[in-house]
Amino acid sequence: MLDQANFLVPPIYYVALSGILFILGMVGVLLRRNAILIFMSVELMLNSANLAFVAFARSFLDVNGQVFVFFVMTVAAVEVAVGLALIVAIFRTRRSIDIDELHSMEG
Amino acid sequence: MTITPITIAFFIMAAFTLGGSLGVVTNRNLFHAALYLVLALFGVAGLFVLLEAPFLAAVQVLVYVGAIAVLITITIMVTRRIMGVTESVNRQWPLAAGVSAIMAITLGFVVLDRFAGKLPVAAVPGDNIVRLGEALVNYDAYLVPFEVASVLLLAAMIGAIVVARE
Amino acid sequence: MQLPILESINLMAVLPVLIIAGWACVLLVFDLLIPRSRKHWTAWLALVGLLGAAVALFFQIGHFARLGSEAAFDGMVTVDGFSIFLQVVFVLTAIVGVLLALDYLPRHGIERGEYYVLLLFTTIGMMIMSMAADLIVVFVALELLSIPLYILSGFAGMRETSEEAALKYFLLGAFASSFLVYGIALTYGGTGTTRLTGIAQAVTSDALNLPLTTVGMGLLLVGLGFKVAAVPFHMWTPDVYQGAPTPVTAFMSVGAKAGGFAALIRVLVTAFPAIASEWGTLIAVIAGLTMLLGNIVAISQSNIKRMLAYSSIAHAGYILLAVAAAQRSENASFAIGAVVFYLLAYALTNLGAFTVAIAVERDDGTGTEIDDFAGLGKTRPWMALAMALFMLSLTGMPISGGLVGKVFVFQAALQAVPGDPLLLAVVIIGVLTSVVSAFYYLKVIMVMYMREGEGKAVLPLALKTVLAATAFGTLVLGIIPGPVFQMAQRAMLK
Repeated sequence: MLDQANFLVPPIYYVALSGILFILGMVGVLLRRNAILIFMSVELMLNSANLAFVAFARSFLDVNGQVFVFFVMTVAAVEVAVGLALIVAIFRTRRSIDIDELHSMEG
Repeated sequence: MTITPITIAFFIMAAFTLGGSLGVVTNRNLFHAALYLVLALFGVAGLFVLLEAPFLAAVQVLVYVGAIAVLITITIMVTRRIMGVTESVNRQWPLAAGVSAIMAITLGFVVLDRFAGKLPVAAVPGDNIVRLGEALVNYDAYLVPFEVASVLLLAAMIGAIVVARE
Repeated sequence: MQLPILESINLMAVLPVLIIAGWACVLLVFDLLIPRSRKHWTAWLALVGLLGAAVALFFQIGHFARLGSEAAFDGMVTVDGFSIFLQVVFVLTAIVGVLLALDYLPRHGIERGEYYVLLLFTTIGMMIMSMAADLIVVFVALELLSIPLYILSGFAGMRETSEEAALKYFLLGAFASSFLVYGIALTYGGTGTTRLTGIAQAVTSDALNLPLTTVGMGLLLVGLGFKVAAVPFHMWTPDVYQGAPTPVTAFMSVGAKAGGFAALIRVLVTAFPAIASEWGTLIAVIAGLTMLLGNIVAISQSNIKRMLAYSSIAHAGYILLAVAAAQRSENASFAIGAVVFYLLAYALTNLGAFTVAIAVERDDGTGTEIDDFAGLGKTRPWMALAMALFMLSLTGMPISGGLVGKVFVFQAALQAVPGDPLLLAVVIIGVLTSVVSAFYYLKVIMVMYMREGEGKAVLPLALKTVLAATAFGTLVLGIIPGPVFQMAQRAMLK
């Protein structure tokens, strides 16, 4: 376990980092066309939230923030199972997972 | 902030994380993007260690790197015809840039505001993992979300099978 | 470690959820034993479970009318009139969801037992959402609501539109969830807790963390805004509603929306009363935009499912107006009463309208154009009459639940005008857009009665039952709204 005096990176640096990570993920979702890449960007956003949770939990010395991370990871695993199944299924019928090509419905 | 092994480690891990996520967002090759994602996820695991959450760091490596990243890689290989994506930016990039800029300014403002305030930093008690484990299953703590999450996993399993059987 | 004390767990308070959760697992096993040609047995078994939950809810209504709210699992969930009222809506919607699928799935060659199991799972998510007292419960319940719905949207897998709907819904839903999670993270950073009551205390006591908390709340609103299909987070709605199998569309247009509103109200009213004027203004603006966009774009739609999708966006706007009116604590209980009443009226009307759409739809998924309704006035007079009632109710015409709901919403908003003059402008937008909405709703009635056509529709007993029940409910809410509204108003969280 680390000594208090050695803990020289204030938690707020981690929060700032998580903010940058969140925005990068958001840019990825909004900018990319490939469904898998969009999904990876969503994973980055979830990771940024996890980082913020752990940093805040560290500064509050509170275990609740860490518990939340646990649930976010569970949900990420759930999303990956369902999402990738959908992506593979749609690839099998279309031979493409470019979201700009998904427009069989217009209105 | 003086330079100590901890700060150096922080900046290395932060560089991993940011470099990796930049790679995910900008790389044209899908397979390379997935490898960058692994790098970013490793970086976050390292940051968890620095934040004295060793258990979460281990779970991060096991679940994210071990399961999620591998699953994504397999999906990329299954759908390999589109591995070499040439056109990487979609049509709505001006909107994306605008929205992202607004978000960046807002978050930057909030975080900078927080720099002025004091954040307490004290030593983490040694039994942190024990507390984490107890909190997950205690009826007066996180039993409800824990059970809901287990139902969620069951639903996802059924769902994935339904999609795959088509 | 001490032994759990039964009072603080309070299993009885969450009994309806437990019944459905347990039954869903049992059903999963039963479904394996049921031969492929007899899958409607699974549907009937699912109905048994839902009716069991309905009975449990019935007993809870009396119990909570006497006792008020009750916390369970040491305050992780709150069971009160609000959650029970909404749980009734969810269970009714799920029953309708099963009945609508009963003939639809075999007709379209997509009959599988998992449909009913996934339907039960998403219903559990909605029910837990309505009683969440901690942001972590909001988050996992929202996921439990959403994940099965992604799968159900893609249930007609051989149809391209269905798969496409599922993937779009999934990607945007996951995107919205990450906003929600980051919002929760910032709120936690600002207040040190995820418990709704704890957040409320922290916000009033410690001004230093307010910016962080406010931005966190904003991101939470984005995440929930996606779920209720509020502008500018609505873009998934038309494609998903059109592509998903129609019974799923009917189910989620009501259930997912009501679930989102349940969480929205819980979070805003319980956790952020201290910054009520901020979120009130924000929600009022979103409400105005949502009503405008939904109603105006709906006019040009030729597909009934797509038209109802924009209509559902528009109705989210009216409900948001009542949510915005809840900012003033004096009339919060009236405003929230208006929200839950509107949700019930909208649920009945919309489920009815989708039932007619299912009856008209052909086995290959076509027949969803408004033009396909031509001639129904002659061939199916009763069904056409019911559809006319639903369309009038969605417009907000007399003797329908839709009118009463709108009146309550506008009244609630006008009561809150002294605190927020902006609401007056939004009420005016609401009234004007209601008039505009008459164009596209009445067009359906016109096509049914005035236009010559084949007027083909398949109306098995299950659909007839749903049609009769929803039409009856819409009329009852329109003619004698008093008792239900009193219940809705008393429903309010303390």
